[in-house]
Amino acid sequence: MHFVNVKMASSGVHAGRHIYNKSLIFLNNLELIYPRRALACTASAWQKTALASNGSSEEIVIPRKKTWSKEALLQALTSTVKRDPTAAHYTFQDDSYLTPRTSGEFKLYSLSQESGKAAAKYFINTYPKFFQKDFAEPHIPCLMPETFELQIEEVSEAALVERIQLRKVKAAVDMYDQLLQSGTTLSLDLTNDLLDLICLYGDQDPKDDSDPEQKTEDVVEVQDDPRKRRPRIRRASDIVRVVWKENNNAERIFNLMPERDSRSYGAMIQGMARHEAYDKAFSTYTDLLNNRLTANVHTFNALILASPEVREKYIEKRDLIFELLNQMAEQKVRPNLLTFNAALRALRRCGNMARSQALLIFGEMKALGITPSLASYDHLLGIFYKAASSTQGHTEILQDVLNEISGQSFEPQDPDDVMFFLNAMRVCLEHKDLEAAYRLHSLMQEGENWKLLGDAHQQSMYYGRFFNILCMMEHIDVVLKWYKEMIPSLYYPHSQGMIDLLQALDTDGRLDLIPEIWKDIKQMGHDNKVELVDEMLSLMAREKQSSEVQESFAQCALDVKRRYVPSEFGKPVLEWTANSLGSITSLLLAAEKRQQAWEMMKLFKASNRVPTDALMEDFLSSIKEVQDTNQAVELVQMSARFCLAGTPMLTKRVKEEFVLTEDHRATLSSLEFSSDGNRDLTC
Amino acid sequence: MSASTMCTTALSFTRTNGLCLGNYALSLLSRTATYSTALSTNNGKGFPNRPIRGPRRPKRESGAPRTEKMLENQDWTAVYPSAAPFKPSAVPLPVRMGYPVNRGVPAEKKGNLELMKIPNFLHLTPAAIQKHCDALKPFCTEWPASLDSDAACEEHFPIQLESKEFVSAGSSLRNPKTRVVTLKVKLSSLNLDEHARKKMVKLVDDRYCKETDTLTIVTESCPLRQQNYDYAMYLLTVLYHESWKTEVWEAEKTRADMEEYHWEDSRSQKNVLDTLRRMRVTSEGEEDPGAVREELLGQPEVQEYRESVTRLKNEGETEETMLQYREAVKKLLNV
Repeated sequence: MHFVNVKMASSGVHAGRHIYNKSLIFLNNLELIYPRRALACTASAWQKTALASNGSSEEIVIPRKKTWSKEALLQALTSTVKRDPTAAHYTFQDDSYLTPRTSGEFKLYSLSQESGKAAAKYFINTYPKFFQKDFAEPHIPCLMPETFELQIEEVSEAALVERIQLRKVKAAVDMYDQLLQSGTTLSLDLTNDLLDLICLYGDQDPKDDSDPEQKTEDVVEVQDDPRKRRPRIRRASDIVRVVWKENNNAERIFNLMPERDSRSYGAMIQGMARHEAYDKAFSTYTDLLNNRLTANVHTFNALILASPEVREKYIEKRDLIFELLNQMAEQKVRPNLLTFNAALRALRRCGNMARSQALLIFGEMKALGITPSLASYDHLLGIFYKAASSTQGHTEILQDVLNEISGQSFEPQDPDDVMFFLNAMRVCLEHKDLEAAYRLHSLMQEGENWKLLGDAHQQSMYYGRFFNILCMMEHIDVVLKWYKEMIPSLYYPHSQGMIDLLQALDTDGRLDLIPEIWKDIKQMGHDNKVELVDEMLSLMAREKQSSEVQESFAQCALDVKRRYVPSEFGKPVLEWTANSLGSITSLLLAAEKRQQAWEMMKLFKASNRVPTDALMEDFLSSIKEVQDTNQAVELVQMSARFCLAGTPMLTKRVKEEFVLTEDHRATLSSLEFSSDGNRDLTC
Repeated sequence: MSASTMCTTALSFTRTNGLCLGNYALSLLSRTATYSTALSTNNGKGFPNRPIRGPRRPKRESGAPRTEKMLENQDWTAVYPSAAPFKPSAVPLPVRMGYPVNRGVPAEKKGNLELMKIPNFLHLTPAAIQKHCDALKPFCTEWPASLDSDAACEEHFPIQLESKEFVSAGSSLRNPKTRVVTLKVKLSSLNLDEHARKKMVKLVDDRYCKETDTLTIVTESCPLRQQNYDYAMYLLTVLYHESWKTEVWEAEKTRADMEEYHWEDSRSQKNVLDTLRRMRVTSEGEEDPGAVREELLGQPEVQEYRESVTRLKNEGETEETMLQYREAVKKLLNV
């Protein structure tokens, strides 16, 4: 419902408009004389001026309507919503059965979602005639089928243009050859476009996931996983490596060209630099200079990136980089952000001397008015903090960087931007700088910076390192708070992370929380990791706790024990170790579950593990409380069977502390004999 | 006992040899000794016992619902930021819904279709609405301070327009109902004289509501809301001008077309005059009928009678009007 000023609504009759401002009496007269001409608007206008002339000082001021962009309202509403720490990633179904609980499940589910989308896209593009009807209003162009098939078949320039646009490298080269053979001269621009296409893709057709014929091509150099989708697993076999072949189509066409301009040279240089033909790139560059042409900024960027590859020593590399930069200034080519980022990236390979140069480059950037992106800072950190170097307390650079960029929100400008948070957190971890870690984390949550965390793998590494440093340095309450907040909604820790958490619990003496952590470990699927379970059990069994805690520990121990028993589905999850057996037994003893502890002792023999002397002593003390002599004697027998060094001690204790019958005494004596006699044979 | 020891020794045998023979081998080993119970495990699904080839993966179990991890002071607007179906694992309330069968209780929330079918407003808690309003405040302008009462709004902005916006999740954003525009105006705020008013009411017929004196024009014939709005304003203007005009044929307005009852020249007047004349006839002889009429009409009883009849006809039959009529008639007839 909105109130409309009727004045604006009148249509057509102009006579009344200019009388709007006139006085009351005149209007009255006008009404009487020309009733037909009086407007609807004058009624209210009359009233409006009446109000004004009635002496009330209030005027109705209708404020100007504000305008905003189409999404502004929605963005304002979304700013009220924060992250829910108990929920899984938003792409998954929010159901307790269907959300992923381990990192493996996370990968599997997200991959399957992507695979489903790709399959749907494949069908839409392969059979476009079934998907022509457009339901969406307004039209959504990205959901309509795309044509990847070539429409124009005859030999013509338009066909070449089409092939270039559809990125069909081989088809474009064939068409070009046919055009040349048929004698048509092609414009320089078109040839340059073709050169750009070939150099970008290194004379291979781009790997097209939706096209199954691509995979059957016999391409030797390309090692690439056609199923590559998010999240990527960083294996060497996954990286696409297209190598520049000798005398390939690009070079051939380049040599055939009647005239070449700077754009052609630029395309060639960039292609060679991109596909690891570095020396050729530099020789082409000298050709370009010999022909007195100037290169553009992208060419220079490619050359700077390639420069560490063509020189061996640090000094030479640095000199080459600076020479290129000087030439850029001479040719009056204005550098951009990517130029400086390339220079910094190349300087990373120049050893320790690059530090001062890097700061010089930053100064240049500021002088030119280019704001550094996160990639620049990442390269800076990489230059100053080499990965295995000794920690010399050089966190000043990190502090300086954080001071400079705190509170800013960055946009993606360089593909290397995503490495910043990861590397910065690694630096914090190595230098054990907790405050810097907190600052970094708050920077990450600023504005749009969360988008620069990278894919799922990089995110999990970042959070893993952050959690690591928290476990090392922070009080347990704070650690637990972060634990609840980050896990498992943000990342799934691996077993080393859980071991860190257990150690943090140990440091602050909160071992009573271990059964809760065990539940989480089970859920995350780390209950089949032997070291983790062993560590947990030994932490629990190390000290004597209060009785409720001991009881909960015993329950936890029984639960753990189930993991070692073969279930109906096959092998047991874990293999028994001496440590685990001993820990579980002592836990059960401490909670006074003697019967179950006794069963555990039998498992020692079954799994060929030897209990410790301390355990036997504990057991004996525990048996003493119930004065079960039979069991005591059996214990000593068992100890003898294991040839434990403490058997004589045990025998003595049993004799002293228990009331023995004749049978018992006889058994004990025989044991002593057998232990003395058979020591060489059985033990 | 012997079977279990056989089993355990078989276990240790397989394990110490480092072989993973699996369940099948295990059962084979134990079957050669005794008729062990290894094969007779009931799968619980009622299936006949199939030979298990290799270790079978255990059936995936449902995890704990995330309500267990929720704190009391959590941010609920983050759990339900927008309209979503009811998720039993995300709502930490012990709700039950359904018909209690067999004298039981209504079904619990887990897997409850009834709870999922109905619309819920979990995303519109008072806290959420407060947050939304705070976020929307920058988009609003200030209300003019002088328009502080309904009467003031009526006075300065007599025309009220209504239109609806629709938001729904679907493939199309368009909804044909958004084009409807409703225009409401009080006739008292328009500059109309008697004739114009009556003509206006006759022109618009049903669209005028007598109790609230409101003219309502609903336009939906054009495809766009802007067009409907223009059309509604055009209609209002045209009605206004037309009602001020007097056509030639309006002079032929009959008594049946009249909106109100006029006593002058009506049957009631005629009847009264006739009655009174007959009452008088005994006294005088022939007289000027016009003067008699005037004289009769001038009498206060006749005036009163006129008032009461007019009132009765215009306002309807109520206690009060009937009483007034009775009094008037009594006075008229000297009863």
